Amino acid sequence: MRYWRYLVYAFAAIVVAVIPFYAGVYILNVTNLILFYITLALTWDMLLRSGQISFGTAGFCGVGGYTAAILFIHTGMNPLLSILLGGLFAGILALILGLIVLQLREMYFAIVTLALGGIFLVIVRNLSDLTGGPEGLALSSAIFGGDSTKTYWLVLALAIATVILSIVFQRTRIHFAVTSIRDDEIVARSSGINVFRYLVFLFVVTSFMQGLAGGVFTHMYGFVSPEGSFSMDFILLPMAMTLLGGMYTTWGPVIGAILLGVVAEYLKLQIPYGHLFVYGIIIIVAILFFPRGIVGAIGQRLKTGRE
Amino acid sequence: MKIMRELQLRYYLIIGISVIVALLLLYWKPYVLVEGIQRACMYTAIALPMALILGIMGIINLAHGEFMMLGAYAAYWFNVYTEADPFIAMIPVLGVFFLFGIVNYVSTIKHILDAPELNQLLLTFGLVMVFQQGANLLWTSRPVKVHLDYVSASATIGSFSFGTFEFVYVAAAVAILVGLLLFLKKTRIGQAAMAVGQNPRGAKLVGINVDRTYLIVFSISIAIIGAVGVLFMMRHSVLPTVGMSYTMRSFCLIAMAGMGNLVGILWVSLILGISENLVLSFMGYAGWADIIFFALIVLVILIKSRQRQVK
Repeated sequence: MRYWRYLVYAFAAIVVAVIPFYAGVYILNVTNLILFYITLALTWDMLLRSGQISFGTAGFCGVGGYTAAILFIHTGMNPLLSILLGGLFAGILALILGLIVLQLREMYFAIVTLALGGIFLVIVRNLSDLTGGPEGLALSSAIFGGDSTKTYWLVLALAIATVILSIVFQRTRIHFAVTSIRDDEIVARSSGINVFRYLVFLFVVTSFMQGLAGGVFTHMYGFVSPEGSFSMDFILLPMAMTLLGGMYTTWGPVIGAILLGVVAEYLKLQIPYGHLFVYGIIIIVAILFFPRGIVGAIGQRLKTGRE
Repeated sequence: MKIMRELQLRYYLIIGISVIVALLLLYWKPYVLVEGIQRACMYTAIALPMALILGIMGIINLAHGEFMMLGAYAAYWFNVYTEADPFIAMIPVLGVFFLFGIVNYVSTIKHILDAPELNQLLLTFGLVMVFQQGANLLWTSRPVKVHLDYVSASATIGSFSFGTFEFVYVAAAVAILVGLLLFLKKTRIGQAAMAVGQNPRGAKLVGINVDRTYLIVFSISIAIIGAVGVLFMMRHSVLPTVGMSYTMRSFCLIAMAGMGNLVGILWVSLILGISENLVLSFMGYAGWADIIFFALIVLVILIKSRQRQVK
């Protein structure tokens, strides 16, 4: 079993390293988008592991993207630095908001994060001097002059960083703390786990990563707009990907993002408008019939097979 | 007793303040008050069915606004193909949406009643996507609107004129509120629904068919929200994404009024409607009106949770 696993890793590493040399520009762009969604799906799942469902992914993604764009336009700084600062700003915002909001649980937390996303959107749309209002802002050029290969390495680095972060979280004591919060918060509290501190930490880290992802996305296309940067896609797609791949795992969201990313690209060509219809169906079917997703189902199979 | 007296004092204080504010508004900006009341009643009409589902079944139906959107499109279709008055469309819509509610309950909601809250939220979010994108496929994202003469009718008092058609929302809100209260208090099914809402296991023990009660409550709510969608369509343009903000508003109102308090929804929606209209009435700040209810949601939920912790 062990060796198989390493073989799979090696194969994946080779594929990832080889793609930019053989794939055309179109396929490379699709791959970039999939890697971007891997980051979002995985960060969403990292918070979900503590039982908190966040609808704020799009909000922090948009905040990171707008910060990066505004800094880049007004100061002309290095795009990479502006992305980093965008992520940091999203993280700081998450820290301030998290201290207030993370006392809420479950549906109340979910609804409040959804509302916060709405507040960000209204603010961005109305601060026209800074954000360009409903029309948004156009950057002077996309990052690396629009070179997809270089962008690929950037997005890949972000995705791999997220995967590593997720693995670290799964292997250290954070995993036990987070899982016990999800299973039974009172027991977690009485075992001496500082629930609030763990939640704030998770919220800040995931929002930071989402802010980075938003900045990368902005620089990838050289454009920000309220509807584009705070798009519902940034909530819906990560959710569908995670549910399909399997919640509470590292590889579930990754596999889900790759599968759905490819499917979405195909559907977009077939049905230009409303291809997200299929995503809704995937969410419903996944919740009703296999709530543990692909990875969860395979894990179950392996476990019963071994016994 | 002392607490009772304090409570009553606070109650009178609130009523007194709101009457004074209303009179001031009436003098200063009468249209804010009138249009605010009309808007508030529309919110009430939309929020009440959601409150029924949440209060009795304990499920947050995120797809609530999408059901309204579908009702609005159904009325639009009806109007285009038969050229009949949209008011007539209410009768078929009530029937069709009752069936639609049954189908939805049996195929999806029924299976997640005992599931964790997370799964319930995600499932109804999946419904949102299916309805929204389905509408997008069928009718494209272009806003549609019917043009009726009597919709823009207005009345004038002195120098101040206001739309009269919108009072239909006031009538609808009152009718739905009274109807639901009568249903819950007077009919057998309604009383059973109240019992199930209080304690499903206890209700089962005394011989109430819980599953059927849920089915009826859900379908009635969907039928009502479909009919409200018909009214909505007559005054507003309809597009596939119109529902989500009304879901949020409804949830905000329900959370403010407190779970299971149907009459309270009317009062808090008056606050929301009038304050939204007040912001809209200032030139150049109309874009900020949306932020009010988002901010209210956050504030109300935070305050409520603080109160619960103190208790």
